[in-house]
Amino acid sequence: MKKKQLVSLLLTGMMTTGILSACSTGQDTTQNGDTSTNAGGGAGGGGVTTIEFWAAPNPTQQAFWQEMAKNYEATNPNVKINVSAMKESPTSEAGIQAAIAAKSAPTMSENINRGFAAQLADSKALVPLDTLDGFQDIVSERNMSSTIGPWKFADGHQYVLPIYSNAMLFGWRLDTLKELGYSEPPKTYGEILELTKKLKAKYGDKKFLWAKADLADPTAWKRWFDFYMLYDAASNGNKFIEGDKFTGDDKAGQEVLTFVDDLRKEKGLLARQTTDPFENGVGTFVDIGPWTFTTWAQKYPNLKYNVNYALTMPPVPDDVDPAKSKTFADTKGLVIYASATKAQQEAAVGFIKWVYSDAKNDAAWFQQTMLPPARDDLTSNAAFKTILDQNPQLKPYAENVPNAIPPMDNAKYNDLQTIIGEQAFNKVVKGEISPADGWANMKKAIEDALK
Amino acid sequence: MDQRNNRLGWLFTSPYLIYSLIFFFGPLVWSFFLSITDWNLIAPTFNFVGLHNFMNGLRSPGVHAAFWVTYKFMMVFVPIVTVLAIAVAVLVHGLTRFKGLFLIGFFLPYLSSGVVSSLIVKGLLSYNSPINTFLRGVGIDIDWLGTPLSALFIVGLILAWKFTGYYALILTSGLESIDKEVYEAAAIDGVKDSQRFWRITLPLLYPALYTTLILAFGVTFGIFTEVYQLTGGGPDNATNTWQMEIFKQAFTNLQAGYASAVALLASVATFISIFVIRKILEIWGKRNGWV
Repeated sequence: MKKKQLVSLLLTGMMTTGILSACSTGQDTTQNGDTSTNAGGGAGGGGVTTIEFWAAPNPTQQAFWQEMAKNYEATNPNVKINVSAMKESPTSEAGIQAAIAAKSAPTMSENINRGFAAQLADSKALVPLDTLDGFQDIVSERNMSSTIGPWKFADGHQYVLPIYSNAMLFGWRLDTLKELGYSEPPKTYGEILELTKKLKAKYGDKKFLWAKADLADPTAWKRWFDFYMLYDAASNGNKFIEGDKFTGDDKAGQEVLTFVDDLRKEKGLLARQTTDPFENGVGTFVDIGPWTFTTWAQKYPNLKYNVNYALTMPPVPDDVDPAKSKTFADTKGLVIYASATKAQQEAAVGFIKWVYSDAKNDAAWFQQTMLPPARDDLTSNAAFKTILDQNPQLKPYAENVPNAIPPMDNAKYNDLQTIIGEQAFNKVVKGEISPADGWANMKKAIEDALK
Repeated sequence: MDQRNNRLGWLFTSPYLIYSLIFFFGPLVWSFFLSITDWNLIAPTFNFVGLHNFMNGLRSPGVHAAFWVTYKFMMVFVPIVTVLAIAVAVLVHGLTRFKGLFLIGFFLPYLSSGVVSSLIVKGLLSYNSPINTFLRGVGIDIDWLGTPLSALFIVGLILAWKFTGYYALILTSGLESIDKEVYEAAAIDGVKDSQRFWRITLPLLYPALYTTLILAFGVTFGIFTEVYQLTGGGPDNATNTWQMEIFKQAFTNLQAGYASAVALLASVATFISIFVIRKILEIWGKRNGWV
């Protein structure tokens, strides 16, 4: 009897231990290893500082950082860098949030956009990089003073070191334009409206100017690739929101919405789910980032730069010089988390400094990822010449890095950008509101949200 | 003896109790704590905001949409899945061979990924798909996922396709448990073949049907993948479910406190709704003499 009870007790104990151990992430052992004493790794008994680096969940970016870490460790045996892919469950932002909440944040990570960095900075989860010794050396040695300028946050600090900056461009179907008698893409709103009329007269419901379901979708980030591209061009790069203030340019904003409304009236917009509309010729004009070309090389090898498609900066209102057009910068960078120890922060800066002190490393990044490094000398530095010569479609991206405006640094950026869609842009696309009313409603809602 | 059995009972149920304590009760308490704060989980400080998050939730258009969209999905999904599941069960039950094989075939969509089925449907319904090109050719042009009513129907149909086999499996076992002698006795009593289903099968199938109906109503409170993939909750919140709203607030806006309050509101709405539906089904069953 007693034996049976003992066996039952042991079984229950084992099951309970099993359940509890299954709950453990095991992070303490894997992250700390032999040499670290805290969650993010740290200085160990042997004088080795371990840093955890989360790379973007993209094989090419992960491979780049693993190679950099290996090379750095070879000449700096007192630093160990564990590079792993950022978890995306359910999003990379949520993965980081969960890691910080569970006190298992890495020392540093890449793949951070400015808006999310603002949320993290607001929660004191990031180290202001400009307070770390050696940060200014990185900026000057990497030749990125102009590019990093607009990244300064409203509190005067730099929380993110931009790694790449995609000056978002618009693609045009040259074959369609040629059929309509154009030898090059139009650059102003008036010219585009004229083209749209010709397009619709010739093709009816078979072709549209801008075919993209996202135009009617209020999801916050989608505004980066429609509203902001046009707005940055129309407003000469006005910041829209600075700190906690709405600073939008009323004239430019209403002109953008009126342009979209005019396109709608001409039936030039198709805000419906469409399979690869630009690639299949249903759309004539679309926002394009440099990441697209890797997909095209595999899926649409028939698309050739300056043969059947061209790239331009965003169009501008008729009274604005197209040569001065600005655009949205799809850009992400590197941050150091506040939970890291001083030793780890220093080791992290040392590693970044080493990586960016040699333009060859940026060239390797560019070659592997096709994402333009956030440098001022992208078109003048010989290190990038071969890559740009081999990939001429990347040249306009490189040329326009200084003309690209990064996203807002407000912690409420998701709410604020959702308002742009819900109150103005999406409604105008659907013909539910006039541009003037849409802009006024949006402005009021944003000002209320900023209070 | 009773005391020994009692101890053994506790002993053997303790793993589940501990599991529930850790994975259900713990998160529930944690969620309630979050819901009365403005904490985003990562800030070093936070404030207790009382019922502020709940009040905001009750005023939010997203939450209003989630509340009503759930019942709209019920009206689309439950009748379709129930009729299809009964039809499949009756057809499979009538087979003399390969019953299992057919049931597995119908059950497979339940095992398939919601992401994959949603992406296939997205492709089929895109503007330049062969289906839509053909329809435009005959003068029919519908923005399937951009129109509130059709978007609702499409998500409901995908779910019905997914769950039909699963519910048919339950209903088939219900049909299998009906004694053949009942049908024989009914035949002797003069029940015609056309009356057999309504007078004998349906009443005797009611316990299994009750189970599938409760499960089907429950599904509508947890819709996420299909909506996330196909519509993102749009157009104009027309497919914004509870789960979609919680996801947006927790993982996009990083408002953990508010998202917890919405999750608790969703739990209350789910609990009350399922309770009411259960009662209605019980009354319906009793009134017809099925239970």
